[in-house]
Amino acid sequence: MSFRESEERQALRTAAAELGRRYGYEYYVQQARSGGHTTELWQEAGKLGYLGVNLPEEYGGGGAGIGELSTVLEELGAAGCPLLMMVVSPAICGTVIARFGTDEQKQRWLPGLADGSLTMAFAITEPDAGSNAHKLTTTARRDGDDWVLSGRKVFISGIDVADAVMVVGRTEDARTGKLKPALFVVPTEAPGFEWQGIDMELVSPDRQFSLFFDEVRLPADALVGSEDAGLLQLFAGLNPERIMASAMATGTARHALDKAVAYVKERSVWSTPIGAHQGLSHPLAQIKIELELARLMTQKAAFLYDSGDDTGAGEAANMAKYAAAEVSTRAVDQAVQSLGGNGLTTEYGVASMVAAARLARVAPVSREMILNFVAQNALGLPKSY
Amino acid sequence: MNIVVLVKQVPDTWSERKLSDADHTLDRASADAVLDEINERAVEEALLAKEAQGGEVTVVCMGPERANEAIRKALSMGADSAVHVSDEALHGSDAVQTARTLAAAIGTLESVDLVIAGNESTDGRAGAVPAMVAELLGWPQLTYARKLDTDGQSVSIERESDAGVATVEANLPALVSVTEKINEPRYPSFKGIMAAKKKPVSTLSVADVGLSADEVGLGSAPTQVVSSAPAPPKEAGVKVTDEGEGGVQIVEFLSGQKLV
Repeated sequence: MSFRESEERQALRTAAAELGRRYGYEYYVQQARSGGHTTELWQEAGKLGYLGVNLPEEYGGGGAGIGELSTVLEELGAAGCPLLMMVVSPAICGTVIARFGTDEQKQRWLPGLADGSLTMAFAITEPDAGSNAHKLTTTARRDGDDWVLSGRKVFISGIDVADAVMVVGRTEDARTGKLKPALFVVPTEAPGFEWQGIDMELVSPDRQFSLFFDEVRLPADALVGSEDAGLLQLFAGLNPERIMASAMATGTARHALDKAVAYVKERSVWSTPIGAHQGLSHPLAQIKIELELARLMTQKAAFLYDSGDDTGAGEAANMAKYAAAEVSTRAVDQAVQSLGGNGLTTEYGVASMVAAARLARVAPVSREMILNFVAQNALGLPKSY
Repeated sequence: MNIVVLVKQVPDTWSERKLSDADHTLDRASADAVLDEINERAVEEALLAKEAQGGEVTVVCMGPERANEAIRKALSMGADSAVHVSDEALHGSDAVQTARTLAAAIGTLESVDLVIAGNESTDGRAGAVPAMVAELLGWPQLTYARKLDTDGQSVSIERESDAGVATVEANLPALVSVTEKINEPRYPSFKGIMAAKKKPVSTLSVADVGLSADEVGLGSAPTQVVSSAPAPPKEAGVKVTDEGEGGVQIVEFLSGQKLV
């Protein structure tokens, strides 16, 4: 292994950063506040192949890995315009379909997910089940060859821009009668499928929704992969999700840190720039260190995942997500502090990042669930739940 | 049609650029090196012509080993192959020597129809190399193009200068230099990035292009930099408080600077 990125990845990083800078945070905020979407950026990134770098070449992807995909997202985030749906569409859904889908499913979805012409949302969380796949109540029952899906999902990102959603539901085991998780692709126009926006205090063009499935009839091939291996397949998609969430958070942290550093270099209150004072330079230096550590763990998780080590990647991805969320929250907070009153203005574009940066501590898995995971798995401590 | 694009690696315009104290040549270690932006536009224009007319785009670059990165960028945008003239002896070459080297490198290629260059680099800014290369090749030069059309037989440009806009035409082969108004360069696609490494880059020495080491480089350069000094720090601007006369004062300032 090497700590130096390949030439190709460096070139991809530079190219994604340049693309991101052309849109930037102002574009992102303007879309967010006007009820718009980041469609132009999404389409342009898609055409350039940046959204599908991890998907197989034979289905229009770049044939690289989550390491490359997360690089794109980190750079877009650092430029101020992260594409949240990258976490979901190519990373979770694309991965699951590429790894477990039938040839027909791959043909149907992957080329579109790779070039951005199709977007697939992902729905796991339920009002009473958090992210606990064992407690999900959205259920699919067989009816002839079809599936009939019923249930509710909540905090689902980007359903308004999606063509379909991958739903984590449960099916009844024919032998034991027990429910087990299974993944279904539901087109957004399917009869019986409705959704409603959730008002959020996030400044983000990516919105959140409650989904309602009322006896939604799906063809047999809506089921992705095996009916019996749903949980395994689900976890295969969740490692990329966490790695991508980490990359998005480190990108956000970089954006905030860059703004803070630029400001404290320029701003002089007495004779020196305020960045010379250790009250500001030390917290910013500390964030820089924590940021690099979070990036390193994200890259490690991606490396393990891309080399086929799902188990090793799981622990690293969770730790990376923890570290990235902490540093994105702290970076934005310190940026506000560094800019003083300007940190809370609309003009300087820092305060508007507060809630979105904070989101990384809550989703896609909460900080506390990660600590539980590490306590139990890495430390062997007993479970309280 | 076969198109050659002349590209140069330059220090990033956003970084602090320095000349070395010893010989007043560019201190390449002090700044990030990038493909000059004007060259990205030249590559873009070549790719557009290739997409319309078919053919091949070859990048020709003179520079140290590291200039390979700039070449790679052009290849990742879609150019087909590259010629890299890289030789210690070239260090400190001036515009004339650079033009001779580039013309000689173009001479190693078969049947070139069109050479596209940026009008001037962001580091040297002499703006002379494209014209010199055309002269050495004995081809028509169409400089300062803000628009380029070619049908594979001839080339026509809109030439924009302080004096106005003129339409200039020439039969091929010819050389065109482009300004920053010519286009918006594309970003390299991921496929382009992955393919760039596999594209042929021939690295040539000064001897390989048919020149001798004593014709190039600082020692024999026809022009010499005698001294250099850092640019003076920016002076504080004039602040005008608008008390109803702001517009008039701005116009007075601009006309005082002969800008309007």
